[in-house]
Amino acid sequence: MKFICPIVWLVACLAAVGCNRREEWPFRPVTLICPWSAGGGTDRVSRQVAVQLESELGVPVNVVNATGGGGVTGHTRGATASADGYTVTMATVELNMLHWRSLCPITPDRFEPLAMINQDSAAIFVSADSPWHSLRDLDAKLRQSTESLRASGTAAGGIWHLALLGWLDRSDLPSESVTWVSINGAAPSLQEMMAGGLEIVCCSIPEARGLIDAGEIRCLGVMSRERSPAAPEVATFAEQGIDWSIGAWRGLLFPKGVPEDRVTKMREAVLNVANSNEFRQFMAASGFQVAVADGDQFEAFLTQTDADFGEILNQPHMKQTQSSAIGPYFLPSILAALGIVIGAFGWGVSRSTLNEEANTAAAENLAIDYHALLRFAAAVGLFIVLCESLGYVISAGAMLLAMLLMLRVGWRLAVAVTVVTIPSLYHVFAVVLGVPLPWGWLGW
Amino acid sequence: MDPALLQAAGDVFGRADVWLIIVAAAFYGIFVGAIPGLTATMAVALFVPVAYWLDPVAAIGAIVTMVACAIFAGDIPTVLLRIPGTPASAAYADEAYRLSEKGLAQQVLSVSLTCSVIGGIIGAILLMVLGSQLAAVASWFSVTEYFWLYLIGLSCCVLVVPAGARWKAMLSLILGILLSTVGLSAVHLEPRFTFHSVALYQGISFIPAMIGLFGLSEVFANLSQAKRGDSGACAVAPAVSFGTIIGASRSALVTRLVKRRSGTVRSSLMGVLIGMLPGAGADIASWVTFAAAKRGRDSKADRESIDAIGDATTANSAALAGGWIPTLVFGIPGDSITAIVIGVLLMKNVTPGPAIFESQPSLVYGIYLVFLIANLVMLPVGFLAIRLGLRLVRIPKQILLPIIVLFCVTGSYALNASLFDVGIMLAMGLVGFVLNRRGFPLGPVVLGLVLGGPLEERLIQSLTASGGNPLGLLNRPIAVVLAIVTAFIIASILRRSIQELRRRESA
Repeated sequence: MKFICPIVWLVACLAAVGCNRREEWPFRPVTLICPWSAGGGTDRVSRQVAVQLESELGVPVNVVNATGGGGVTGHTRGATASADGYTVTMATVELNMLHWRSLCPITPDRFEPLAMINQDSAAIFVSADSPWHSLRDLDAKLRQSTESLRASGTAAGGIWHLALLGWLDRSDLPSESVTWVSINGAAPSLQEMMAGGLEIVCCSIPEARGLIDAGEIRCLGVMSRERSPAAPEVATFAEQGIDWSIGAWRGLLFPKGVPEDRVTKMREAVLNVANSNEFRQFMAASGFQVAVADGDQFEAFLTQTDADFGEILNQPHMKQTQSSAIGPYFLPSILAALGIVIGAFGWGVSRSTLNEEANTAAAENLAIDYHALLRFAAAVGLFIVLCESLGYVISAGAMLLAMLLMLRVGWRLAVAVTVVTIPSLYHVFAVVLGVPLPWGWLGW
Repeated sequence: MDPALLQAAGDVFGRADVWLIIVAAAFYGIFVGAIPGLTATMAVALFVPVAYWLDPVAAIGAIVTMVACAIFAGDIPTVLLRIPGTPASAAYADEAYRLSEKGLAQQVLSVSLTCSVIGGIIGAILLMVLGSQLAAVASWFSVTEYFWLYLIGLSCCVLVVPAGARWKAMLSLILGILLSTVGLSAVHLEPRFTFHSVALYQGISFIPAMIGLFGLSEVFANLSQAKRGDSGACAVAPAVSFGTIIGASRSALVTRLVKRRSGTVRSSLMGVLIGMLPGAGADIASWVTFAAAKRGRDSKADRESIDAIGDATTANSAALAGGWIPTLVFGIPGDSITAIVIGVLLMKNVTPGPAIFESQPSLVYGIYLVFLIANLVMLPVGFLAIRLGLRLVRIPKQILLPIIVLFCVTGSYALNASLFDVGIMLAMGLVGFVLNRRGFPLGPVVLGLVLGGPLEERLIQSLTASGGNPLGLLNRPIAVVLAIVTAFIIASILRRSIQELRRRESA
């Protein structure tokens, strides 16, 4: 009787998890990779798209924040995912930029474009108590001033940095009239400007909306041809006599090589989402500008922008401004030096005073059994290697069973524990919480 | 009485659906927080799709409740298994586990629950009364001040370790910061120590690292010492009943409010102040208050340790309310959770910022009231969770250890859906095991990993802004004050180390 209960539970869980297959794609959850962290603009858009895509496709769409490396991680993972149509990437403008800076081998060619959904233009902001009221004022200040102004909005070499440099270049302003402080993200940059640490912030309008409304900052111009619907009161650069427009975009991509019929179906679903009223309302409420382009237009757009960014990023003064005063190995080398000093000190102290402690430690060492430890580590290592092909349920089950048997648990009890634990854990993570676990060739 | 306040009270108290959602969110928060690898931020991000169907008050109520509960629930695996459920519990993981090995798990958890409730309520009151004044303080902080603040956080963690291990703690800390420099540097956008592997560009994510350092290494330690055929249950779990948990919590409540009044007030204030600074948050708050409570005292008395843990749990709950201050007043998120909240509010056509106080005062009052309710609801749900947790660790070790490994693996995978993270978890488990055997504390490694990145960023940003001149770190009044505090802490670390050396030489 003791074993019937877990088996019933297993069957019930599997039935709820993966056995309700339909013939047609998609029949299991789709993963949407967001290369940026939870809470940011791209994450918000991704989660909105995911919710609506879920009702279009009829299967769960789970957002995974594959963050880090300034977008390298997420875009790389999206491009190298298996081309079965179960992984979609919410790509951002960094896809156009990273490979030109040789940070990442992934180019837009590695993707199959589905649709572009949004484009936000860059804009220049200054503090409300600053003396500059238009681009002309700022231009004059930059021209005559001997001291450079401090600006930020993103990390050095990011999209808003390029936008600002492009403006300086178009207006023949010296590129050293602005010092770019590398601050990650628009919100902390704006905060820094309010604290008096910066004079200029370059970012998109929705990112600054709260502070514009609060009257804390002023927008001097939007780098687009038409006025932004998010802030129709702000003049464009074109209106102020400067021919310069640049912005960030977001779009959905498949990795290259997804079967044709799945691409067609997904393109249709994504376009339905992007053109829906619900999506437009969400974007309007968040201040994001909707800019829908279908797969082919998006492909052309990607090729065009990629060439443009290549041109900007390969300019000699651009390369020069990217090297900052303090090198990347500044802190690590200080720390290493400090570590060596403290380590040497500690080693000296412990050698001179702790002979008896060392003896007891040596005695303890004899009693240690490293075998069980190494076997456990090997089990986890095997899980890492096999999990992608076998799937979570089988590989985790095997790992758990092996570890239980290693600790000399009776095999019946071990099987019972495995059969109860693994399906419930899988159910909780993959179904209830919507956190994707690795799928094997069986689909779970 | 203010009509907006009345309307808010009606909205919050008078609606059965709001209560229902809050209670459900409490269970959900406890559950997610107790699983190592799933953080409070994750709980909220996973909740966002559900928030679409709720009105603002219900959605905010659910978020506030689940976050408060998740931060408390993070203490449950911390105390029972030495695996911090959320990063906010990492500060006192070693200390709490040492106590539970002495059979005090139940007391520690009761104190932690009571203090979380107290901290949450005091934080909410401060948010209501002083919210807009405090927000002005937050806007004075530039990158330079953050640099000093992070340095204070880092030096605090060296201060809290017990005697004799200070140089080891410093080495652990340096190891942590060095590990944080792996990957694409955030300021330079240049790969460091990646050995041409794209997987390493993301760096060493600290949640898998934390799970490995604390959780897996503890399993390894158990394995290496296990005598063959030893099938005893974990020593940490005494028999429990609701009566004893409630009794312990009541006495904790009295102690906190009467005997440890100053500690409670101090840690709540520090929690709110640190929590409201964007980029700082519940985890830093708990490190700093834990250090302040121990203030370098080397005493290993259980009573004092419990008090210090109480202070830290008060602060990390109070910090949650602090995070809402810049969110409501400027529309700048105070932490990653409020960043998601801003998204949810925008979705409901509510734009956070000063205008919200005039245009939708009832919503603002609603948020305040929800904070109070969330913390009260946490009490009974927390009792249930403690009882369940104490039950679960009574499973025989032979079965419990493999299951813990399974959770470590699944939890570290879940955060970024990355097997590479599982590998990091495994590697850090082995590193943690070795460090622990050699007497190096693990807390500083985790803190170094968490704060190393931002510390370096702020340092280089300040130096860039000042044109490479190191005096640029001291050219603002608040920065000078913070620098003096840092110098004071470092001096007291050195003084204590020298005293110890002398004592040892004379002995």
